[in-house]
Amino acid sequence: MTAWKVVEMSRENENKQKILIVDDSEMNRWILTDMLMDEYEILEASNGVEAVAMIQKLGTDISLVLLDIVMPEMDGFEVLRIMNKYRWIDDIPVITISAESTPDFMERAYEAGVTDYISRPFDAMVVRRRAINTIMLYAKQKRLIGLVTDQIIEREKSNGLMVSILSHIVESRNGESGLHVLHIRTITEILLRQLMKKTDKYHLSKSDVSLISMASSLHDVGKIAIPSEVLNKPGRLTKEEFEIMKTHSELGAAMLKEIPQYQNAPLVRVAYEIARWHHERYDGRGYPDGLKGEEIPIAAQIVSIADVYDALTSERVYKKAFTHEIAMQMILNGECGTFNPLLLECLMESADAVQYELKQDAASQSSEKEIKKIAEEMMQHDDLTTSERNLRVLEHERIKYEFLMSVSNELQFEYTLVPPMVVLSEWGAKRLGISKVIMDPMEGGKLSGVMGEEQMEELSSLIRRSTSDDPVVRYECDFRLSDGTKRVQIVCRSMWSIDRPPVYTGVIGKVLVLS
Amino acid sequence: MTVKECYDALGGNYDEILGRFRNEDRIRRFAGKFLSDPSYDNLIKALEEGNMDEAFRASHTIKGVSQNLSFTKLYESSHELTELIRSGQTDHLENALKQVKEDYERTVAAVKQL
Repeated sequence: MTAWKVVEMSRENENKQKILIVDDSEMNRWILTDMLMDEYEILEASNGVEAVAMIQKLGTDISLVLLDIVMPEMDGFEVLRIMNKYRWIDDIPVITISAESTPDFMERAYEAGVTDYISRPFDAMVVRRRAINTIMLYAKQKRLIGLVTDQIIEREKSNGLMVSILSHIVESRNGESGLHVLHIRTITEILLRQLMKKTDKYHLSKSDVSLISMASSLHDVGKIAIPSEVLNKPGRLTKEEFEIMKTHSELGAAMLKEIPQYQNAPLVRVAYEIARWHHERYDGRGYPDGLKGEEIPIAAQIVSIADVYDALTSERVYKKAFTHEIAMQMILNGECGTFNPLLLECLMESADAVQYELKQDAASQSSEKEIKKIAEEMMQHDDLTTSERNLRVLEHERIKYEFLMSVSNELQFEYTLVPPMVVLSEWGAKRLGISKVIMDPMEGGKLSGVMGEEQMEELSSLIRRSTSDDPVVRYECDFRLSDGTKRVQIVCRSMWSIDRPPVYTGVIGKVLVLS
Repeated sequence: MTVKECYDALGGNYDEILGRFRNEDRIRRFAGKFLSDPSYDNLIKALEEGNMDEAFRASHTIKGVSQNLSFTKLYESSHELTELIRSGQTDHLENALKQVKEDYERTVAAVKQL
């Protein structure tokens, strides 16, 4: 075959949608491949473990899975269970191709989320039609979801922009920098995430987090109605002036209450709670209503503690900035009000994230102009939607990684926590004489043929102790390769999510043979 | 030997396979590949070793493949064997296995002449 033909063929393949055929009988895979290969690129797996590894790797790049049920290693129902557990089945349709077709069996398969079934013996026309229909249906749904997502992102963006403008107006009249609003928002978001991890008693969802953080920007909106002699008075306020100042929470709430059309909009409702009650105290001695404990809505409780923390750690006309440690001391000593003990815990536990993110806020503000310029440039290339752009970048990275891994003569590995599995480079698996994919590697000594249990334990404790700032771990030990035991160095890096604070997701690494 | 004659010789259903596979070329290709399918050898080996899980899977695969190729006789006997193994009725296994052997050999002999 000439070189250009190879290029031509692979290009053709790239544009074809991919179908994964999972069947332990090679014969059955051949027959199905033969029936589908004109229109689709076919991937094959001969058991459930291989199938799961492929789906994990390629994700929605796979347009359809044809799944046999009776298979060695891992059967089709187990594959379906995993696809449900990680919600892959929401995006990747599955058609069963089992020889079993009793009603009980089919019911179980449908309940596990399969879209359709193809009974044996395979009929070329039926196989093709079912594949086409299922893929079209899912593709349509995916396109719609993509459209809606992009619209929501756009709307969120303009919502956020309006809120920012408004809060900046308030802040600038107040003589404060826009940073305060940004800080409150950042701290509020971090505290909410921490709180969600600790308890579900406030029934907070991910969308509540973004809603409350956005609404936090409006906490001082009432200050716009405070006379500027009081608001910007350089010295200490008199008792009367302080009473006037205190009305800002009620004034803010009243403004939000008077917005004619949007009383039921979640953003307005939450902003009202925050504006009115962010100066309440947990012991009931705050203002304006003297609410106590959990009578104060959780959104207001959180913004209140964020407000105090930021006021302490920022410089003001009348005071210098306190360090984080001193600010925490003052808050914990009850010098700045009383707070929900659970929220104090959250603040202490996420101290690192708070300090780090506040520094980022400062940096991002100075580069705001630059970001704006980039954003404007990007908007001019609006032919690609947000989701599509992201997908292409990801796809490119995936192909690059896969290619480099397949050609390198190195023992590389990737460990993912969800689902728990190890994938070795082709060469690596050969070198170790074990299979490329190992599910639940930490269970039942599946890797004990390669390295000692004790060393395994030592390595994983080193990895567990690494952080997203210091993720690289080096470890020397004996390793059993197919050609005998060798001294090796394992160099690996723990992987972390982009959440704040980051969540541990797995490990990538290499095994270097010493001497 | 034509495809039709081959199917008659092995006790298969020619009209049915042509209806599903659409052309004789495809039938020829896959019938030919049946010769290299390892399931039958796996079945015999698993039964000798008394590994009933593996025997079940192998028998199940023979059933699926022969059904797909419309090897009706072999499908029927492998179906019976599969169900016997599934329900653990080992006392009738001998007869069912004998039938599978006979049908398998007959099928292989016919396909080889294709």
